[in-house]
Amino acid sequence: METQQTSQQLNRARQRAKLFQKSKLYLSLYLLVLPTTLSLLVFSYYPKIDVVIMSFFRWEPPSVEEYIGFGNFIRAFKDPQFWASFKLVGILLVANLLKLWPGILAAIALHRLASDKLRYFFQVCFVVPMIIPGMVFLLIWKSFYEPEFGLVNRFLNMTGLMNVLDWLDTAMPAIAEKLNPVFDGVVNPVFGGVGAIVLLGAIIITLGFRKERDPARFGDFLWILIGSLLIPVFGLTGLSGAAEGWIGLLVLAVVWMVFGSRRMPGTWVIWPFIILAGTLVFWGGGLWRLPIILLVGMAVFEWVRAKRDFFTGNPLMSYIGLGIITVGSLLIIFGSIWTTPIEQFADGKPAWLGNKDLVIPAILFWGFPWVGTVGVLIYLSGLQNISEDIYEAARLDGVTPLGMIFRIELPLIMTQVRINIIFMTINTLVAYEIFFILLGVDGGPGNKGLVPGLYMFQSAFVDGQFGYACALGMVLFVIILLLTIINQKFVKVDK
Amino acid sequence: MAEKINKFYEGVKVGYVGFVLFFAFVPLFIMVVVSFKSNDQFLQNPWFFDSPDTWKWENWAVAWDTVNGYIANSIFVSFTGTIVTLVIVLMCSYAIARFNFPGKNIIFYLVMATMFLPGTVAALVTLFNLLMNLGLVNSLWALVVMASVGGQVAGVFILRNFIEDIPKELFESTQIDGGGHFAQIRHIVLPLSASIISVTCIMDFLGSWNQVILPLLLLRDDALLTIPVGLFRLDGEYVKQYGELMAGYAISSVPLLVIFLFSMKFFVKGLAAGAVKG
Repeated sequence: METQQTSQQLNRARQRAKLFQKSKLYLSLYLLVLPTTLSLLVFSYYPKIDVVIMSFFRWEPPSVEEYIGFGNFIRAFKDPQFWASFKLVGILLVANLLKLWPGILAAIALHRLASDKLRYFFQVCFVVPMIIPGMVFLLIWKSFYEPEFGLVNRFLNMTGLMNVLDWLDTAMPAIAEKLNPVFDGVVNPVFGGVGAIVLLGAIIITLGFRKERDPARFGDFLWILIGSLLIPVFGLTGLSGAAEGWIGLLVLAVVWMVFGSRRMPGTWVIWPFIILAGTLVFWGGGLWRLPIILLVGMAVFEWVRAKRDFFTGNPLMSYIGLGIITVGSLLIIFGSIWTTPIEQFADGKPAWLGNKDLVIPAILFWGFPWVGTVGVLIYLSGLQNISEDIYEAARLDGVTPLGMIFRIELPLIMTQVRINIIFMTINTLVAYEIFFILLGVDGGPGNKGLVPGLYMFQSAFVDGQFGYACALGMVLFVIILLLTIINQKFVKVDK
Repeated sequence: MAEKINKFYEGVKVGYVGFVLFFAFVPLFIMVVVSFKSNDQFLQNPWFFDSPDTWKWENWAVAWDTVNGYIANSIFVSFTGTIVTLVIVLMCSYAIARFNFPGKNIIFYLVMATMFLPGTVAALVTLFNLLMNLGLVNSLWALVVMASVGGQVAGVFILRNFIEDIPKELFESTQIDGGGHFAQIRHIVLPLSASIISVTCIMDFLGSWNQVILPLLLLRDDALLTIPVGLFRLDGEYVKQYGELMAGYAISSVPLLVIFLFSMKFFVKGLAAGAVKG
């Protein structure tokens, strides 16, 4: 009896000691992670949360700080500069997606070098340029673009490309002139704009992902159409003036998204984006066209899938969609970009950064050949994990060296590529430093280089409207978050 | 790789990599070239050295005069920032990688999420406000703090992977010898992941060394400026002297060059070994 009691007591004491030790261990661990957690919460999370709060304020330090509800957001959506800056960042995003390729190719070339010594040498070489201060890179590229003695102009004059540009300067506007009847007669009445053609292509491709063709699809179609009608109906009922109206719209949109994602798992994520893009394209009068375009896309889907199954239908729809997108892009390239002569090339000294028509091409060409040295090393580390057997097998199957890029290397470094795409997206949307240093705080001639980041910087630190800048930041932030989610879902990683 | 080496393909590969590297080195080369030129010489012949007797060594003298007041600031900010980051990162990633404790995942995701929740410029606005309220505006400590906050995220991400791969027995052997957490970090983690730690450290150092916008916003006193900001002010002067500017930048990249030369081996190895496991 007594022994039992003592052993019980002993057990309890042991447990208590264990608990004490465990809690001591936990305490020490929490102390170890405390600095990180605390500093991130204070200096990283708090400012970001503060942005959300302050976006509802008219905040012009040091004096003004008053709550104005959705005032900043309403102002932003009515601000033409805001839309222009997002259009620019869209262009940059597409361009940067293409600019990933030279880096990937460089890594593959480096990986396939026969000589290990040479590869090591090149690897070291790729590290060295990192020490160049970013400012030097900027200043030097800026000097490349100088009209009088810049390398770009010298090169163009030397190779005779300047004459080609000069010729294009009359030819491209002439083509645009010829295309005008097409725009006035077909594109504008039917589609309401070129952007709508591209959008239609995207809708068809997205619909093509749908595997089943069961009755439930009509419910899904209806749900998508409802989503496209949310904003026009909201505008018609005249609720857009009041804060309650905006909150209502927000709630409706969230409800719509939640139910949509329940109904249509998988490709669902794209639909909010298409609705958003459609709203942007048709903003200002033509919003009723969006449901019609969606209906056209659905009709194409029904038509194709009535004849084919998923495995042959999906590629067919992709081809139809890509074809439509190509036509739309060609129309944009030839009809809307180079519509008036720039008249800078005749004397061979175009001011790339000083002319409002040349700023964007200059920025797009910026940093040629677009190989981030760190990026190359990242891809290389991924490539070096590929086992030799895979190459062997592919060689036996008769895959050509060029084919191996797409069959082996690209799929196997998709992890690295995806990470790079995510960071590239974030950087493109957030970046403002190079535009600030290159073009000044107002974004160069005609505000052409005013990216959203720079616009925020300008509103905050030049105009002193901190609250408005916060609202812009919120919009940008939401877009980045959605793009990151899409990246995670759709850039597939097969392991 | 292949049994037969195809000369043509090799040539194409080397040519392409060389082409890419050429453009990567152009800025470095031009920085040095221009630093020896006056503005007139720069206008006439921007792409290569003039004859050595016309070299303008004065540029370097002027640049040195401009920069030398700021060097101490820059070194202070970058060194302190890097060391603080290193200590914090080691502690955090050691705890997360080696132990299971309640809330561990929350903390890890808290750290990771900052990578994907970018601070837009708007966050710079509120950060500025926060630092002002904390009395850190116009103080170098603000830069140190911000450098360590920024450097932590990638550091924890990379080091956690690394420490997880270290065999548990090693830690336990130190534990049996009576070593606490810090002894384990010092005797096991530090030596075994030296190359990866040096990579992250250099990256942090580089980041805070070349930081422009934040110090530009935060620092008011001329005596407190860091090198890039000082040179940025020089850049904004009425008549821009490219030669002096470039000489200044060249001087400012000398410390980086020295660090790189000493740690090149670590660096290449570390990057290849999985600084970027993804």
